[in-house]
Amino acid sequence: MRMLFAAPAKPPPPSLLAKLAGFNWTLLILVTTLAGIGVAALYSVSGGDLQPWASKHVVRFCFGLGLLFIIALSEIRWWMHAAFPFYLVALVLLATVPFVGVESGGAKRWLGFGDQSFQPSELMKLALILALARYYQWLPPQKVSHPLWLLPPLIMVALPVGLALQQPDLGTAALFGVVGAGMLLLAGVSLVYFIAAIAGVIAALPVLWERLHDYQRERILTLFDPERDPLGSGYHIIQSKIAVGSGGLTGKGFMQGTQAQLDFLPEKHTDFIFTLVAEEMGFIGAVTLLTLYLCTLILITYMALRCRSVFARLVAAGVGLSLFAYVFINVAMVIGLIPVVGLPLPLLSYGGTAMLTTLVALGFVLNAHIHCTLRVRPEENGLFWPRRRRTPRGLRPPRTAGRAREPVLRDGFPRGL
Amino acid sequence: MSADHADRKLRARFSRRLLLLGGLQAAAFGALAWRLRQLQILESSEYRLLADENRLSVQLRAPTRGAIYDRFGKRLATNRENLRVILIPSFARDLEATLDAVAKVVRIPDAQRERVLRIARRQSPSIPIVVAEGLNWRQFALLNVLAPELPGVQTDTSAIRVYAESQPMAHVLGYVGLADKTEIKEDPVLRLPGFRLGKAGVEKGFDRNLRGRPGNVQYEVDVHGRIVRELGGTPSQAGTPLVLSIDHALQAKAMERIAEHRRAAVVALDARTGEVLIMASTPTYDPNDITYRPTLEVWQELAKTPDNPLLNRTIAGQYPPGSTYKMIPALAGLAEGVIDPKERIVCPGGYSLGRAHFRCWKRGGHGAMDLHNALKQSCDVYFYETARRLGIERMAQTALKFGFGATYDCGLAGQLPGVVPTAAWKRRALGQPWYGGETVIAGIGQGYVLATPLQLAVMTARIATGRAIVPRFTIAAQDESPVEPQPLDVDPEHLQLVRNGMVAVVNEGGGTATGSALGLPGVLMAGKTGTSQVRSRSRRGPERRSNAWDAQPHALFVAYAPVDTPRYAVSCIVEHGGGGSRAAAPIVRDIMLQLLERDPVGRPAFVAAPPATLAASIERSGADR
Repeated sequence: MRMLFAAPAKPPPPSLLAKLAGFNWTLLILVTTLAGIGVAALYSVSGGDLQPWASKHVVRFCFGLGLLFIIALSEIRWWMHAAFPFYLVALVLLATVPFVGVESGGAKRWLGFGDQSFQPSELMKLALILALARYYQWLPPQKVSHPLWLLPPLIMVALPVGLALQQPDLGTAALFGVVGAGMLLLAGVSLVYFIAAIAGVIAALPVLWERLHDYQRERILTLFDPERDPLGSGYHIIQSKIAVGSGGLTGKGFMQGTQAQLDFLPEKHTDFIFTLVAEEMGFIGAVTLLTLYLCTLILITYMALRCRSVFARLVAAGVGLSLFAYVFINVAMVIGLIPVVGLPLPLLSYGGTAMLTTLVALGFVLNAHIHCTLRVRPEENGLFWPRRRRTPRGLRPPRTAGRAREPVLRDGFPRGL
Repeated sequence: MSADHADRKLRARFSRRLLLLGGLQAAAFGALAWRLRQLQILESSEYRLLADENRLSVQLRAPTRGAIYDRFGKRLATNRENLRVILIPSFARDLEATLDAVAKVVRIPDAQRERVLRIARRQSPSIPIVVAEGLNWRQFALLNVLAPELPGVQTDTSAIRVYAESQPMAHVLGYVGLADKTEIKEDPVLRLPGFRLGKAGVEKGFDRNLRGRPGNVQYEVDVHGRIVRELGGTPSQAGTPLVLSIDHALQAKAMERIAEHRRAAVVALDARTGEVLIMASTPTYDPNDITYRPTLEVWQELAKTPDNPLLNRTIAGQYPPGSTYKMIPALAGLAEGVIDPKERIVCPGGYSLGRAHFRCWKRGGHGAMDLHNALKQSCDVYFYETARRLGIERMAQTALKFGFGATYDCGLAGQLPGVVPTAAWKRRALGQPWYGGETVIAGIGQGYVLATPLQLAVMTARIATGRAIVPRFTIAAQDESPVEPQPLDVDPEHLQLVRNGMVAVVNEGGGTATGSALGLPGVLMAGKTGTSQVRSRSRRGPERRSNAWDAQPHALFVAYAPVDTPRYAVSCIVEHGGGGSRAAAPIVRDIMLQLLERDPVGRPAFVAAPPATLAASIERSGADR
């Protein structure tokens, strides 16, 4: 009896083929192009050799691509329900880093598993986006700007920010902050809070300055005057600017960048890979690369705009924000606009965790895109698990069933514009 | 319905805000592009320079030092290839381990090892240090193979200076050595490891010509300073070869001749041009010991050796000239008219001035002396009286005219000026007033008068020719029109009177050096003996009177020949040799005979070919224009 009535109520899950039809192949091409540029850059860094970086980069990209597909084609409700547990796991891992982490370069950021290691903060970047999206999916729209209901998401952002600052990892903390604030903004939280927060931050800056680590303070100071310490912390910025500037309009040519090939450029296979592209491919190459990223971001924004459910659009927009923050912070850093904070350039920099995280995050964007017509029924909208149906058997409101049968992709574009 | 409405409102808000954020993102990317334009287009040339500064390393290429020849083309100083291994500490990972690895191929003595480590600590780590030199080809090849595995280790070749016939020529040639702190600033090439410059003798005096011009090589280097590839450069220009006026064969004979004395020196000049033909000083040393790896032991040995072999007595030995100086008061007296050549001054064997009494060397006295006889017999009383009449100032003026009290700009480092005393000099140097008695003894070249053998030879040449002869170490080039030295402002008649006296010294009965006459038909030598008292303050008491070697007076002799057409002027000093006629005159006679027999001035001199690179580069620069 129950099956009889319930069966038509639940919309049949779209077939895999239908999902693939909704798949955005343009994004895939953009992502593959960017990763391909990364492979070429890594090939150049090692002096024209696939070893030790370029080939591994390819392997990781392919593996990540597999994850991307799996996530993109999976059921979005699973992730909605897994969001909070996932966040808790990430939080616990992040919290344990100071105790069992592997120290490298004055900061404990890594967890080791045998000979592999990964950064829990990368996991947290995904978990935070999912958890915030999940929260606002659950929260009734009237309560969004209510101060009491603003508190949980603030705590959800503040915890990983605080843990990242403890490591200390200024770049990641800033990223959590930017993504968190952006998602609150997009969730519809009243602008009054943001204005108050900006005023508060400006007032708190002197205090914050006092609490920064010496090396962080030095990095900020050397940004404004790299010559302060040309052999120490200013060295990175100076050499990177020389490399970028000497590239000129058309660059020195593939594998001809003197700064990179002769090792004057530090960290050129990871954080400073943009510098290598700018040196060898010049202004044209650098702007082309930025344009590719911008296209990706525009595409993600477009996809987010089309999503019906709060969860899907917030996930897509959150990933977009995070990708933007990565690219902007990294490029601005290597061309001397902001202090040196250790953030990789997504898809180009060599590094396993970052590559996988980026592709998984893009998988979620595609997942949201495929499920853009999703309407979350109230009974599915429990905070941690699907709410138990309280309605008596056979008394389901027909409205729900009718809505679920809405044609796919008919009403994609928002009307609020 | 209100929930649905709220949903819609929220979605509209989301869309508005997302598009706003999208706009901000695009603007942020615009800012990045703007910054890239500033770096890569507007300021690109500056950054390109900085990038080149990073990757280009210019290293100097040491020039080959010019060879030195004697006047007939005998090689005196040349270069030999020297294979070395050098270390640049800033590139070496572990200095000790690197040295250990090098030591497996080349023996590195502990002292050298410590020296390298000490230098590495003290100076900038980017300056290369020579670890070992004088490698053989096998070691050199082995190290070349090993070098890529030992960062900071490089092999290179340099030249070391080799002196042929080193001992007789040591004082003239001098030697080369590493630059010291004061010299190193003057020329960047001196910072090259193991680069040597002239430290003494003509090596120092003609260093600028001999050194040549450094070339350079441009390398592309990586951040560790490892050379990635060579980008070209300019070749170095070898130093100009130097042909000395010295006649090596005669120099060797002169050295042999004076070697029987403990300390002696001989100078022979071309009396007409001032070219130095012989400049011999004994004892001598081997510059090869000093130039190439001067060990502490070598220096200690040289320092311990009595009689200071490093001292070139012909230019840095200052002696009271004694009676060889008597031509000066004679010429001054004649010029000032205080003496008349015919006037006779009676020599009773001593001379009194106030309470002081001065003796003539001849106890019994010479009797009545005119100028000719006074020179011939070297009568002290005659010149005491002449000096008294002249006063010290006028005598000093004549002395300066004949080349005393000055060094010559002839390219030989280490000359001392001697002393031509005046009242002002004494006040300045000693802070004491001048006494009349000091004028009197200055008349016989004693007291404060000091001269070097080179100055005595110059004086002799000037008396012989009446011209302002200046010594020189290079030969006037063939195409160069011979510059006649300026005539001296001296009455030729007075000069002739003095010359006659000098001829009589050697060739007239009663002359002080008749035993050293040349004995050649038709060729006479004119000369003057000198026996200068040595005031040995340190040795007083009974020993003073004994026959101790250093209580003996110095023996001096100056001469020129042939008398009618003077060609050679020679001076000689034998320290503590006793009498000038006994010890010094025979040496001069023998050398003069050699000079006249060989006649180096009459034979064509050697012309050294200019170094090839120099000629090529001149040609090239000519073609460029």
